Amino acid sequence: MKKKKSPVLAVLLILSLLAGLLTACQSKDNKDAGTTFTVGFDAEFPPYGYKDENGEYVGFDLDLAQEVCDRAGWTLVKQPVDWDSKDMELNSGSIDCIWNGFTINGRESEYTWSTAYIDNSQVVIVKSDSDINALSDLSGKVVVVQADSSALAAFTGEDASDENKALCDSFKDLQQVSDYNSAFLNLESGSVDAICMDIGVANYQIKQRGNKFRMLEERVSSEQYGIGFKLGNTELRDQVQEQLNEMLADGTFEEIAEKWELTDCICLGEEGTDAAYLQDAETRKEEPFIEKLADVIKQLSSGMLASLAIFVLTLVFALPLGLLLCMIRMSKSKILQWIARIYISIMRGTPLMLQLLVVFFGPYYVFGATVSASYRFYAVIIGFSLNYAAYFAEIYRSGIESIPVGQYEAASVLGYSKGQTFWKIIFPQMVKRVLPPVTNEVITLVKDTSLAFAIAFTEMFTLAKQVAAAEASIMPLFIAGLFYYIFNFIVAVIMERIEKSMQYYR
Amino acid sequence: MKLLEISHLKKNFGELEVLSDISLDVEEGEVLAILGPSGSGKSTTLRCATLLETMDQGTLKIDGKTVAEDKDGKAVYVGKKELHKIKESIGLVFQNFNLFPHYTVLKNIMDAPVHVQKRNPEEVKKQADELLAKVGLTDKADSYPCQLSGGQQQRVAIARALAMNPKILFFDEPTSALDPEITAGILKVLRQLAEEKTTMVIVTHEIGFARKVADRVIFMDGGVIVEEGKPEDVIDHPKNERTRTFLQKLEGEA
Repeated sequence: MKKKKSPVLAVLLILSLLAGLLTACQSKDNKDAGTTFTVGFDAEFPPYGYKDENGEYVGFDLDLAQEVCDRAGWTLVKQPVDWDSKDMELNSGSIDCIWNGFTINGRESEYTWSTAYIDNSQVVIVKSDSDINALSDLSGKVVVVQADSSALAAFTGEDASDENKALCDSFKDLQQVSDYNSAFLNLESGSVDAICMDIGVANYQIKQRGNKFRMLEERVSSEQYGIGFKLGNTELRDQVQEQLNEMLADGTFEEIAEKWELTDCICLGEEGTDAAYLQDAETRKEEPFIEKLADVIKQLSSGMLASLAIFVLTLVFALPLGLLLCMIRMSKSKILQWIARIYISIMRGTPLMLQLLVVFFGPYYVFGATVSASYRFYAVIIGFSLNYAAYFAEIYRSGIESIPVGQYEAASVLGYSKGQTFWKIIFPQMVKRVLPPVTNEVITLVKDTSLAFAIAFTEMFTLAKQVAAAEASIMPLFIAGLFYYIFNFIVAVIMERIEKSMQYYR
Repeated sequence: MKLLEISHLKKNFGELEVLSDISLDVEEGEVLAILGPSGSGKSTTLRCATLLETMDQGTLKIDGKTVAEDKDGKAVYVGKKELHKIKESIGLVFQNFNLFPHYTVLKNIMDAPVHVQKRNPEEVKKQADELLAKVGLTDKADSYPCQLSGGQQQRVAIARALAMNPKILFFDEPTSALDPEITAGILKVLRQLAEEKTTMVIVTHEIGFARKVADRVIFMDGGVIVEEGKPEDVIDHPKNERTRTFLQKLEGEA
């Protein structure tokens, strides 16, 4: 009888926790003095919000937010967010608003907006020595934008103008990267021909990076920045808006804009900046669930294939490469041994993400060779294979060393050559012994394929994050999770079969 | 004709002297048993004779061919090719059998004759069947070693060694990993081989074995040969004090 009590208690406990959590969430809607105000921003988006030399988060938007908090008596919390996950952060209540050069255009019905305070345009940046001088020169070129940026929306968004759509169609490819740093790395190394981004950001970046790059005079589109709140949270929005209006009236807003050299762009209080602010908050149309699901899966299918390709090709190269490496590691030559040791130590001791960056950008920065866009995929395979070979080599080595010395002695007395001893006697027994640890690595590889995003290769998870951001829904991420799970389930079943097939001997 | 000639063999493991001065010969058709307590150097002697260990000093001849010669107090071995050729004359049965676990009994026996000696598989198969019949395991040809008892595995190991048609067959404590009841089966095989005049060197501490199979017995202790002679002399009327102590100890255990 006693045993039955505990689940009931547990359920009650969970319910009370949930109730507490809910009230905690609701209380966030209206802010009294003394509470915190959490601003979500992309920490790599100067001059609006970024990390300075001293490691502090600074920027125009963060200064504005600080001023608003000072006036309202709130404590400002600066919360850097992954741009692709900003909607989840906002909807879950972990941030109060998105305030970070946040473009209103195209997102009018997805958030509750402040009035626009910055007028911004999308511009194109190319290398100084590029032969691209006008938008029409971009035809047949590779252009890169930040994932879920206003530049991307200007080209592919639902409200994109026909003119921009036609321009986009003329590109050879429109690629997405997660931050502007990698966009510039890509541009510098020649794997893309142009970057499209906000003018404010572009001015800052060009100033920082010197005369290696230049901006096209012709602009792609015009847009406005606002502060985005969770849809329906008009109360908090109004509180912030009130402070902004006061700051504009007493000149503080202008002062902050001057500090960040954005005076030319500000538009707070001007006519036509309150369209999004005035709209009714509950206008979003909901697609039927099944249709949306089918749509998301369709969008994700190319990512699934990409992940599968990384997985299969990595195994095809890394499994034999690991054996070669293992043999070098176990060779009699001390020099070879040390080369293999150092290689394995580096490959296991540094992040795979960094190794991918080195493989992709290395040819340009070391040899000055221009990398092509198609090299991206090869770089992923090379990086993964080199990394996994190091792990496989050590697994093989442990397997080989666990085989009793008597097997070598029996082979020696029977006259087997070294090659025969290895391939006929040792190798088959090693394979059986290393299967469990190899299975572990293979399953890790399935999930590691998502690291290809480091060099902007669009595999399953990157795509899921992009789709999630575009649809403002976390469903794509769940589908991605399900994909990885099923993938791994199949891998586990296959490996188990192989293991069983070798159980005829011990 | 002498099939094995060892003279003035010395062997150190680091600082430790394992064999100080071993000389022994084995005639064709002779069965030699090497007795002695553990640590006496009998296994090391056998490992030097089967080329699993290299000698530090001394000369070694197998089947009349020189394997190593003493030059200025160092044993110098002949080239790799010649060694490989000489290896064909010797077979070794291990204490722990060392069968290949991933091969069936039949493949364990046939693989080296077919792939090392490059003999005709059909002929080897015929020989393997005969050998399996000889060791009483005809019905186990398709089993894997893990499905056999220790005694059965050791008999397969003997068949595997015999399939190479060695001129001299070495045994390294062939029964010490087995239960006493099982050793009878191995003994039966060894006696049959002795009757067929197979040249054998058996390292053992089974006195019964030595008495029943060997033509000659060597007793080793502390890296030297203490006593040598016919089994009935060495075992039943030992002259040396150390031999006597060892034999008494064994009888006490049995």
